Amino acid sequence: MLKIYSFLILAALIGLVSFSGLDQAKAVETVKIGVMAPTTGPWATEGQDMVKVVDILVEQINAKGGINGVLIDLEVGDDGGTPKTAALAAQRLVTAGVVAVVGTYGSAVTEASQDIYDEAGVVQIATGSTSIRLTEKGLERFFRTCPRDDEQGLVLANKVKALGFVKPAIVHDNTSYAKGLADETREILKSLKIADVYFDAITPGERDFAVALSKIRAQNPDVIIFTGYYPEAAMLLRQKRDLNWNVPIIGGDATNNRTLVELAGVSAAAGYYFVSPPGPSDMKSQAALDLFKVYQERHQGLPNSVWAVLAGDAFNVIVKAIGTAGVNPEGIAMYLHSGLGKYEGLSGPISFNEKGDRVGELYRLYRVDPKGQFVLQD
Amino acid sequence: MLSHFFEQIIYGLTVGGVYALIALGYTMVYGVMKLINFAHGELFTLGAFVGFFFLVTLDLGSFWGPVLAISLTVVGVSGITALAGRLLERVAYRPLRDSDRLAAVVSALGASIFLQNLIMVVSGAKYRAFGVDLLPTTFIQFAGQSVPVARLFVFLTAVVTMLLLYVFINNTRFGLAIRAAAIDQGAARLMGVDVNKVIAVVFVIGPALGGLAGLLVGVYYGQINFDMGQLYGLKAFTAAVIGGIGNIPGAMIGGLLLGLLETLGAAYVSGAWKDALSFVALILILVIRPTGILSERVAEKL
Amino acid sequence: MIFPRPRLFGAFQVAGVVLFLALPFIFSGLNFRRSPYVLHLLTTVGLYALLSLSLNVILGFAGMFHMGHAAFFAVGAYITANLNLTYGWSILSTLPVAAGGAGLFALVVATPVIHLRGDYLLIVTIGLVEIVKIALVNDVFGLTGGPNGLIRVGRPEIFGYRITTPRDFFYLIWVAVAISALLFNWLENSRFGRALKYIKEDAVAAEGMGINVTAHKLMAFVIGAAWAGMGGTFFASWMRTISPESFTFGESVVMFTIVILGGSGHQKGVILGAFLVMGLPELFRDFQDKRLLAYGAALVAMMIFRPQGLWPPKPTQYKLPAPFDQKYPKKGEPC
Repeated sequence: MLKIYSFLILAALIGLVSFSGLDQAKAVETVKIGVMAPTTGPWATEGQDMVKVVDILVEQINAKGGINGVLIDLEVGDDGGTPKTAALAAQRLVTAGVVAVVGTYGSAVTEASQDIYDEAGVVQIATGSTSIRLTEKGLERFFRTCPRDDEQGLVLANKVKALGFVKPAIVHDNTSYAKGLADETREILKSLKIADVYFDAITPGERDFAVALSKIRAQNPDVIIFTGYYPEAAMLLRQKRDLNWNVPIIGGDATNNRTLVELAGVSAAAGYYFVSPPGPSDMKSQAALDLFKVYQERHQGLPNSVWAVLAGDAFNVIVKAIGTAGVNPEGIAMYLHSGLGKYEGLSGPISFNEKGDRVGELYRLYRVDPKGQFVLQD
Repeated sequence: MLSHFFEQIIYGLTVGGVYALIALGYTMVYGVMKLINFAHGELFTLGAFVGFFFLVTLDLGSFWGPVLAISLTVVGVSGITALAGRLLERVAYRPLRDSDRLAAVVSALGASIFLQNLIMVVSGAKYRAFGVDLLPTTFIQFAGQSVPVARLFVFLTAVVTMLLLYVFINNTRFGLAIRAAAIDQGAARLMGVDVNKVIAVVFVIGPALGGLAGLLVGVYYGQINFDMGQLYGLKAFTAAVIGGIGNIPGAMIGGLLLGLLETLGAAYVSGAWKDALSFVALILILVIRPTGILSERVAEKL
Repeated sequence: MIFPRPRLFGAFQVAGVVLFLALPFIFSGLNFRRSPYVLHLLTTVGLYALLSLSLNVILGFAGMFHMGHAAFFAVGAYITANLNLTYGWSILSTLPVAAGGAGLFALVVATPVIHLRGDYLLIVTIGLVEIVKIALVNDVFGLTGGPNGLIRVGRPEIFGYRITTPRDFFYLIWVAVAISALLFNWLENSRFGRALKYIKEDAVAAEGMGINVTAHKLMAFVIGAAWAGMGGTFFASWMRTISPESFTFGESVVMFTIVILGGSGHQKGVILGAFLVMGLPELFRDFQDKRLLAYGAALVAMMIFRPQGLWPPKPTQYKLPAPFDQKYPKKGEPC
C-alpha cells in the first residue's frame, strides 16, 4: 500500500513539474502561436515537414526582432493523426495560451479540434484538410490555406474530360478524403455525361494491388482515376507496368509528393497525371525561394509535398494579421476575412472568403515526364 | 474467365507466401512459449529497413555484383533481425516467463510501439524506395498462362524457406528438442533438453524469417515505411491462427489460404469489404474447428 | 453471515475522492491557466477508465481474452448519434438503447465463439473490431456516414442544464465512473461475480460445481459490452464528431493494456492504469516525435517490474463462521 501511495505521489510530482515548467513567464514579451501536426503516426512524414517549415519561419522572424518587437513562441502539438489525440493536443495548445493555430493535415482530425479552438476563441488555419464540410459550419475563426474537395473534384473531372477520356475507372482508398473526392468526381463526371465503369476501394497500407488492377482491366477503361495517397498510387503505377498495361492514371493532390516517383520508379511513373496546387519545386516567389534555401541546407532537399508549404503560408498570414491587428483573435479573424487583400504567399496570392476558404483557382494539371520530373501542363 | 481466375490464384499465392513466412515467427514463438509476440510485425519492418540499408544506402550491388550483394544482404538481414529478436526476448519477455501470460502480451505491445517508433526516429518517417526492378519484370509461360517471374520468385522463396524450416524441425535433433519443449517444457527439461537454448533458437529463427519476409516485400514491392509491420503483422497473426497457432505446417497453410481468401474476395466480391470477408472466414473456421485447420499438435491444451 | 460486505470506503479513499472532485474548483481558485487542458485530459482518463472497467468484467473477472472492446464502444456511439441526429432524442435518453444495442450485438457475435479458449478468442475479438470498423467505413445500412462519420451530435442535458464545458464533462464522466465502479464492485462480490472468478481460475471445476460456464461467460460479455456502449454515448456527445478512426483495433489495445497494466480484476488498479496509459503519452509530449518511443519503453518496464499489474487485486479472504475461525498453521509450523 505504501508503495502505491508513494508511486501516486511521485506521479503527481512529475505532473506538477511538467505542467508548471511550461507555465513559467518569459522575460521578453512574446506571442504564442501553435502548430498542430501529426508528428507521430501514419502521417508523421507530412507532420514533421510542417513543423520543419514553420520552425524556419519562426527563426527568421524572431531574428528580425519579431512582430513589431514581440517575439514568437511556437508551441507544437502532436495530433498523431487521430481525432482523440487531436482533441487533447488542441486543448493543450489552447491552455498554453496560443492566439492562433496552424494545422492540421487530416480532415477528420481537424474536425475533432475545430470546436475546441472555436470555443476558446482561437484562430485556426488548417493546411491539408480539404473536406468540404469543415468550412460549412459557420465558424468565424476557421480558415484554410488548402483548397476544398469540391473544387478539386471539379478540376479533376474537367481535366478528365479535356484529356478526352470517356470510360474512367474510379479507385479510392476508403479514407475520408479519398472517398469524398471520389464521390465528388463521380457526380461531376456524370453531369458531364461520362459514366464510370468501375468504382471500388483498395486498402491503404497494403502493397499488392494486382487484384484490383486485373479486375479494373476486365472493365477495359481508358483511364484510372485514383483519389488516394501517393504510396498506394506508386504501387498502382508500378504494378500496372508489371502487367504490361499502359492505361493512363490520373490522381488527386495527395499524390503530389516527390517520393511518388522514387517509389514507383521513373519508368513506371512516367506519364502519370495529377491535379494539385503547385508543388514546392514550382513555387517561384521570393519568399518561397528564401525559405527553400534554408530548408535545403538544413534538411537536405525540398519539403516532400505542398502541404508543408501551405503550413508555412498559414503561419505567414497569421504573423501578418498579428502585425496589423495585434494579439487579438477577433481582430486577426476580421483581418484575415477582409483586410488581407492579395497577400503574396509562398504558394501564390492568398485571400479568404467569408467562409474561411481560400479564394482562387489553385489547381493545376501535372504530368510526370520520362525523367521523373513533375511538369506543369497548363 | 478461367485465365482471370488463374491470375487471381497467382496473386493470392504471392501475398499468402509472405503472410506465411511472417506467420511462422508467430507460430514458433507461440508453440514454445505460449506467447503472442505482438512485436513480430516490427521485426518484419526492421528486416525491410536493414535490407534497404545494405542494398540502397551502402549500394552493395555496385561493389560486389548482384549475387554476392544479395547473399550478403540475406545474411545481414537475418543476422540483425535475429539479434534484435534475441534482445527482445531477453529484455521484454524473459523476466515475464513465469508471470501471467497477459503480462507478456502487454509487454509485447509496448515493445511493438517502442520498436516501431525507434525505426521512425532512426530512419525518418518518410517512405523509402528500394531502387526499382531488383527482380525481373518478365513473364514465363506455364500451362498456357503467363506467370510473372518476380511473383514466382517471391512464392518459391517463401516455400523453400518454409520447407527448410520444416525439415529442420522434423529431422534434426534440435528440431526434436523444439518439439519436445513445445509439448511440455518441464518434461523436456527432465529429458535433458536445454529449454533456454530452445527458446533462444526459436527467437533467432522466427525473427530471422520475419526479417527475410520484410526484405522480400521491400525488394518486390519496392516500398517500405516504418509502420508497414502493423498491417502485415496482424494479417500474419490471423494466418497463424487460421492454420492452428503453434503448428508449423499450419502457419504455411494458413498464410496461403488467407492470401487466396483476400485476393478472391477482392476479385469477386468487393475491394472495400475484402478484409472484413477474411475475418469472417477466420471466425467461421474457428467456429467449426476451434483450434484452427491443423489442430494444435505442438501446443497441448493448457 | 459468511460473506461480509466488502468495506467500500476508508478515510484515505474518501479524502482522495473529495480532493479529486474538487480539482476544477481548486484550479479555478488558483487561477490555473492550464486547467481546461488538464480537465480535458482527466476526462479522457475517465472515459477510458469507464471503458476499461467494463472490459475488466470480461477480461479481469471472467478471464476471457478480449481485445475487441472498441467494437461495442462503437455500436453505442453510433446508436446515440443516430437517435440524436435523426430522431432528435436527447443524449441521456439514448443511454439505455446504446447499452441494449451493444449488449444485444455482443450476445449475437459472442454466442458462436464463447467456447473458444484463450488466444483463439483473442484473435476472434480482434477480427470483430476490424469487421466493425470496415462496416463503419463502408456506411453499413446508411447509418454510419462512411469514412466521414457523423457530425454535430448534441450535448447531454440534465434537468435542463446543458453540459458543454470541460468542467461539466469532467463531472459527467467521473460520476459515471464512480457509479460503474460501485455497481461492478457489487457485481464482483455477488454470487454471479464469484462464479466468474471461479470460471477464471478453473472452468472445468466450476462446471463440476454446477455453474453454467457458457451462460455465465456470455452474461459477462453482454454486461461488459452494454457498459462500453454507454461509454460510446458519452464519447459521441463529448467529441460531437464520431468517425471510424476512433474505433480501431488500436483503441481496443489501449483498453486491454489499461486493464492488464493496472491490475486485471481490480477496479482501483484499472483506474490507476487508465491514468498511466492515457497520461504518459501526454507527459512525454516534450519529447516531440520520440514521445511514443518513451511510452513503449515505459510500458515494457512497468510490466517487468510489476508483472501482476501495478495494483493487483488482493486474494479474496472470507471470514468463516465462528467455530472454524482460526488461523491456518503457517508453512513449517507443526499442525
